Amino acid sequence: MTKEPDIQNSLIKKFGFLEGKIRIPRERRIFADAAPENFATIIEYAMKDLSFTMLCTITGLDEGATLGFLYHLAREDGIMLSIKLNIDKNNPVIKTITGYFPGADIYERELMDLLGAKVEGLPEGRRYPLSDDWPVGDYPLRKDWKKQEGANNA
Amino acid sequence: MGLVEKVVTWARIKSPWIIHFNTGACNACDIEIVAALTPRYDIERFGIQLKGTPRHADVLVCSGPVTKQIKCRLKRIYDQMPEPKFVVAVGTCSCSGGVFDGCYSVESGIDKVIPVSAYIPGCPASPKAIIDGVVKLLASLEKKEEKNKK
Repeated sequence: MTKEPDIQNSLIKKFGFLEGKIRIPRERRIFADAAPENFATIIEYAMKDLSFTMLCTITGLDEGATLGFLYHLAREDGIMLSIKLNIDKNNPVIKTITGYFPGADIYERELMDLLGAKVEGLPEGRRYPLSDDWPVGDYPLRKDWKKQEGANNA
Repeated sequence: MGLVEKVVTWARIKSPWIIHFNTGACNACDIEIVAALTPRYDIERFGIQLKGTPRHADVLVCSGPVTKQIKCRLKRIYDQMPEPKFVVAVGTCSCSGGVFDGCYSVESGIDKVIPVSAYIPGCPASPKAIIDGVVKLLASLEKKEEKNKK
């Protein structure tokens, strides 16, 4: 376990504000807390200079007052860097990362449908994965979401 | 019953054509349906043939719970089939919704959307159970025909 602290140090060297916000809970896993304003530059740096060239997935979380977004990046030697964003639930605006990872498109649409995130810069497209007749403004993975009475027999 | 009708009923019982439709299954039941159709279990010995279009089919074989997205498509497929038509629900999910019942994107079992003639439970339903269910459906049709004769 020598590469992980190196990655941590180079991230802190480049982005001073990440000091104390990077955790290495175990081998090959690195977690970093980012803010929306510096998020894109961190992704770009991780991708271009630290060779985190793969986006595994994006996790969306409902954490009460905020929505959490975890971007799991991976390297070919198996080290994963999870960059976390916390955004206000009332106005959950994030920027698209499809400029860096075109495959993020489908994950971001999922965040829009299931958690109600607003993704800036994502081109228009069909909704995914909910059905076409799903009501607007209804986000089933939010904790306060309730199934509509009489919507079906369940 | 006219002669033509008699021949048609006879042909229907001796050789029902089926269409297989996945309404949101996890694919386990689909694999079992394919196993039932192919030579290992060979459901074709009852004259059953898989068809590529609902317009040629007498029996609609559904697997999986009905998702909200597939609901209107299922109705459309059902409407495209010529009368008389029968629906077989394969697997616990298509019988009642199973573990997916109450999920935000799932409607429920097949019978909430279209009428079902035979239910085959199981997770997944084994090919033996599928054959048993299909044979029971055919036997019930045969009985109906005998009643009509009398």
